[in-house]
Amino acid sequence: MAHSPRKGSPARWAAVVLPPLCLGGLMAWTAGVFSPAAISPSHFMQRFQKAGALDRGFRRAHAKGMCATGWFDPTPEGRALSRSGIFKGEHLPVMGRFSLAPPLPYLPDNPAAARSLAMQIRSSTGDDWRMALVDAPLQVMRDIADAFAFFKTARLDPATNKPDPAAIRAYAAQRPWLKTAFEQAKSHKQASDLTNDTYNSLDSFILTDEAGKKTPVRWAAVAQEPFSPAEGSSANDKNYLFKRLVQTLDQRPLRWDIVATIAREGDPINDPSQPWDEADQKVTVGTVTFTKAYSEDESPCGPMVFDPTILPDGISTSDDPLLALRSSVYMKSYATRSAEHKTPSMVTPGDITHPTLTPDGKGQ
Amino acid sequence: MSFPQNTGHAAPFPRLSILLHWVMAALIIVMLFVGLFMAHNSTVHYASLFTLHRTVGFLLLLLVIVRLINRFTNHTPPLPNDLPAPMKLAAHLSHILLYGFMLALPLVGWAMLSAGGYPITLWGGCHIPSLMGFHPHLWGELRCLHSLLAYGLILLILAHIGAALLHGIIRRDGIMGSMLGR
Ligand code: HEM
Ligand code: HEM
Ligand code: HEM
Repeated sequence: MAHSPRKGSPARWAAVVLPPLCLGGLMAWTAGVFSPAAISPSHFMQRFQKAGALDRGFRRAHAKGMCATGWFDPTPEGRALSRSGIFKGEHLPVMGRFSLAPPLPYLPDNPAAARSLAMQIRSSTGDDWRMALVDAPLQVMRDIADAFAFFKTARLDPATNKPDPAAIRAYAAQRPWLKTAFEQAKSHKQASDLTNDTYNSLDSFILTDEAGKKTPVRWAAVAQEPFSPAEGSSANDKNYLFKRLVQTLDQRPLRWDIVATIAREGDPINDPSQPWDEADQKVTVGTVTFTKAYSEDESPCGPMVFDPTILPDGISTSDDPLLALRSSVYMKSYATRSAEHKTPSMVTPGDITHPTLTPDGKGQ
Repeated sequence: MSFPQNTGHAAPFPRLSILLHWVMAALIIVMLFVGLFMAHNSTVHYASLFTLHRTVGFLLLLLVIVRLINRFTNHTPPLPNDLPAPMKLAAHLSHILLYGFMLALPLVGWAMLSAGGYPITLWGGCHIPSLMGFHPHLWGELRCLHSLLAYGLILLILAHIGAALLHGIIRRDGIMGSMLGR
């Protein structure tokens, strides 16, 4: 025999076995195997699960929703701020999704839940602009650690099936920097409908014009419908907000101005919990017109992800830490729900064709 | 070429093969760390890591194509004659699997983002065309497959490194040297 395997000394065997073991261990550590308390997309998923999200193909947040399609028409002012193909002047298709913010896909419509609007605008040259906006005035978290703690407070108490109000109070009390955000949330006047609500990006973005000049902005989709306040839980119908949106769209198109609030010196770009100066310039960069409603079970907006970091050239993310976080957590939610078997959404195709409200004896 | 009795010598790989092997080995190990970190940790630089992951992923796809062409056109030294047949088989199978995983991972990455409707932009702003239309269910499956392939590749690489060290330190049959250019 030329050479049968030599009996190596233990030291030699260690030199064979230890390097791959160490490398494997390091990889497991990188994947968070040894740090179960770390802030990770799957731990966010667990928190959403405890807050009532269902593993039946629904988004882990903003789970109840409905789709709408229409058009975007940019303004010359938009074109002056951003070199994006979105603002070149073309009439562009928009896909939107109206939703209630909680993780509960079967939440009955009510005036207390925050509402949201997500949109995708695409140009013929391949620009893709996604937005996910809510009707809150400021974000009640300033960074990743806040976000992780915040979603813990959304846990449903098994006794009441509602979040524990003491948890959110404690969260707010421990974070003096969120004082303004909570005050503004409290004094925020909720609109009567999805149709006359205004939706905000909260996070900031950077626009770049043809000359390379950068402008930090926050977005709002401002309803052209006149505002009227929500008065209590007037309607008996569990889908009254969505059905009233469908009824209105059956009668006339609904428009939202896309308004950029331009940061001035001193406005915090990387902190969505802080207000900007009241006197900041506001520029309407375009108008979205919705014309047609769909159930999310029969429109591509249902499965779609409205990741706010999917942006065309000419619009980019700011250094707001929550934007990158959202991108990673949305991807996790999107991947998980896309591989699940989906149960029907609460706003059904039947609600779209017959948006008749359940009568509640109050003339509704 | 044969080195019948003399142990500790196997014919070296051609220079290009050696260069490709080590450059790709380093990049793949970096990619595995970047992928694992960004998918399991929400705290640090997700956007930059993800851009790096896509960019190096496509670079590796190009490199593996070059490497496969080189593998079939350039000469590959045979394994030493006295290597037991089961070990030879294991070596060949594991190398085929390594090539397969190296090719499949970036392709699945590309396909899954395409199916999910994500635009694919590389570092520097280069746009990669989409491989298909919007197929959300397929996105979900492929995203899962990308992880499974990555975990499989990790196990293969750990075994591969262990085997290389076994050849280099215990058997001292020259196989390690053949990939070090000696
Ligand atoms: C400025 C703050 C935020 C705004 C304006 C916002 C808005 C939205 C909107 C409108 C949607 C629904 C999108 C749709 O209809 O598909 C959404 C989905 C979601 N949000 Fe947020 N969000 C914010 C912050 C966060 C944070 C900090 C997290 C957690 C880390 C988070 C987690 C999620 C998840 C998991 C989804 C579901 C994603 C999917 O499966 O597609 N959001 N968000
Ligand atoms: C970092 C530690 C590594 C060491 C010490 C190492 C060592 C070696 C050695 C000694 C060979 C020659 C085997 C022979 O003579 O047939 C080899 C071949 C090979 N290695 Fe690695 N390697 C490493 C990492 C990797 C990685 C990360 C990959 C890719 C995923 C890889 C893929 C391959 C392939 C495909 C071959 C077969 C080459 C061929 O026959 O065409 N190696 N490696
Ligand atoms: C040789 C090439 C590649 C390797 C070794 C690799 C490896 C990995 C690994 C280890 C993960 C983490 C999986 C997990 O633990 O769930 C991952 C995730 C991922 N990879 Fe790759 N990958 C490669 C190429 C690509 C390419 C070319 C793309 C896209 C164009 C891509 C897109 C992704 C995405 C989107 C994720 C998920 C990130 C997240 O969940 O936040 N990968 N990859």
